[in-house]
Amino acid sequence: MTANILDGIVLGLQFGLLAAGLTLVYGLGGVLNLAYGQMGVISAIVVALAMDAGVPALPAVGVGLLAGGLLGLLLDQTILRPVYRSRGEARVLLSLLLTLGVSFIVDGFLIWRFPLKALSLHIGGGAVEILGVLMRRGSLLASAITLVTIAGLFVFFRRTSLGQAVRSVIEDEEGARMVGIYPSRMLRLILILSGMLAALVAVTRSMVTPVDVTGGLHMTVFALIVTVVGGRGSVAGALLAGIILGIVNVVAADLIGTYVSLIILLGAAAVTILIRPAGLLGVKE
Amino acid sequence: MLEVKGFSAGYQGNNVVHDVTFHVDPGEAVMIIGSNGAGKTTLFRAMCGLLSPSSGTVLFDGDHITGIAAERIARLGMRFVSAERHLFPGMTVQENLHLGAYPRRPDPETMSIVLELFPRLAERRRQHAGTLSGGEQQMVAVGRALMSKPRLLVLDEPSTGLAPLLARAAYEALGVLREGGLTVLVAEQQVPLAMAFSDRGYVLENGLIRLEGTTEEMAANPAVRRAYLGVT
Repeated sequence: MTANILDGIVLGLQFGLLAAGLTLVYGLGGVLNLAYGQMGVISAIVVALAMDAGVPALPAVGVGLLAGGLLGLLLDQTILRPVYRSRGEARVLLSLLLTLGVSFIVDGFLIWRFPLKALSLHIGGGAVEILGVLMRRGSLLASAITLVTIAGLFVFFRRTSLGQAVRSVIEDEEGARMVGIYPSRMLRLILILSGMLAALVAVTRSMVTPVDVTGGLHMTVFALIVTVVGGRGSVAGALLAGIILGIVNVVAADLIGTYVSLIILLGAAAVTILIRPAGLLGVKE
Repeated sequence: MLEVKGFSAGYQGNNVVHDVTFHVDPGEAVMIIGSNGAGKTTLFRAMCGLLSPSSGTVLFDGDHITGIAAERIARLGMRFVSAERHLFPGMTVQENLHLGAYPRRPDPETMSIVLELFPRLAERRRQHAGTLSGGEQQMVAVGRALMSKPRLLVLDEPSTGLAPLLARAAYEALGVLREGGLTVLVAEQQVPLAMAFSDRGYVLENGLIRLEGTTEEMAANPAVRRAYLGVT
C-alpha cells in the first residue's frame, strides 16, 4: 500500500505539473488548449530524433524543452490570433475547437511520419529503497526534476515581479491593465512556459514508461481532469488535485484494474465539481 | 495636462456621453459632478482606454492618447482608479501595492508615503486584498495607483460604497496628495465632498457638459445648489 501511495504521489506531481501549464493558460487568457498534450509529444519526439542523430541525452532534452516553448509561441502567434478577438465563453469555445483541430492534425502527422517513434530515456543503475519501498532510479529522477520545477514555479509566481504580474491578470484582468500590465504579453509568456512544461512532463514520463506518438490525447485529458478539480488558474490547486488524483489512479488501478481506474478518476472529478464548482482552489469569477 | 475635445463614447453604438470637452491643468483638482447614470463612468473608462470612444480626441501632455489601450495609458503616467476598484483579491495588500509600480521595482520612498497616508494598509500588509473592508480596499486602489508616481490621477467616485465618515476620510487623503502637487480629476455624485476638494468643476447631465466654472461659482449657482447640494 505504501508503494502504491508513493507511486501515486510521484504520478500525481507529474499530473499536477502538467495541469499547471493548462490551467495557467486557461485562467490567464480564457484559452483552453486541447493540443496541449501534443505539445509534449512533439517535444518528446524531437528529443528522440535528436538522440537518433547522435546528440547526447542532456542537450537533446534541452532541445526538446526549447521546442515545447516554441510550440507555445507558435500557437500564440498563429492559431490563437482569431481567438484573442473574441471574449468570454465565445473565446473558450473557439480556442477549444481550434486547438482540437490542431491536435488532430498533429496526431495524424505524427502517426504518418513517425509511426513507431517513441521516447524512452533509460536511467542506469538499480532500484533504490525509500521508506521501505523499492523505487527505480528513473522514477526517482523524474520525481526530483518535477519537484525542482514545481519549486521553481512557486518562486517565480510568489517572489518575482513578473510572476506577480502574471497572477494579477488571472486575478483581475482589468485591474492589471489599469496598472500598466499588458495581458497579451503575459499570455504569450505563459503559453511558452506551458509548452515547456508539457515537454518537461513528457520527458520525465519517458524515464518511467515510453512516450509514443499517440500519447497526446491522454496527456491532454489528464491535464483537463486535474485542471477541473484543482480550479481555474491555480498552480497550487493543480498540484493538490494532481496528487489526490494520482493516488486515486494508482490505488484504483492496483485494486480494480487500469481501465476502471480512468472511470474512477473521472468519477472523482465529477464529485469534486458537484461539491465545489470552482475547483479546490480556483479563482471565483 | 489633459485635454478632452468633442469626446463621445458609449456601448454598442449608443453614445452615452456626447461631444464632451474639458481640460485639466497641471496641479489642479478638477471635479466632474453628476447624478447616477449621467455618464461619468463611461466618460472615464473611454478616456482611460477601457472602452473605445466613438469620436473626439484626448490629449495627455500634448500626446494623442485617444483610443489607445488602457495599459499603455497607465504607463504614460495617467492612472485610473475605478469605482469598482479592480484589486487583485487573492494577493496581499503588499503585492497589490508593489504591482502598482510595475514594471519598475517598487520605490521604498513612495511605499512609505503611501503607508503614511494610509496607516491601515501597513497593518494589513500581509492580508489578502479581498478580505479588506470597502474603505480599506479604496485605500489600496488609490495607493496602488500612487505607487507608479502618476502625473495625473483619475478617480471615479472614490466615495462609492463608503460610509459618510470613511468617504470624508478618503477625500482628506486626496487633499493631502493635492498639497503634495498631484493633479487630480475626480468624478463624484456626492457633490459636497468633491466641492470641498476641487478648484474647478463641470456638471455632466445626460452625457452632456451643462455647466462649468470654479468651485465657488458652482457653489453659488442656484441650479447646482438645488440639484446637487440639497438647497431649496
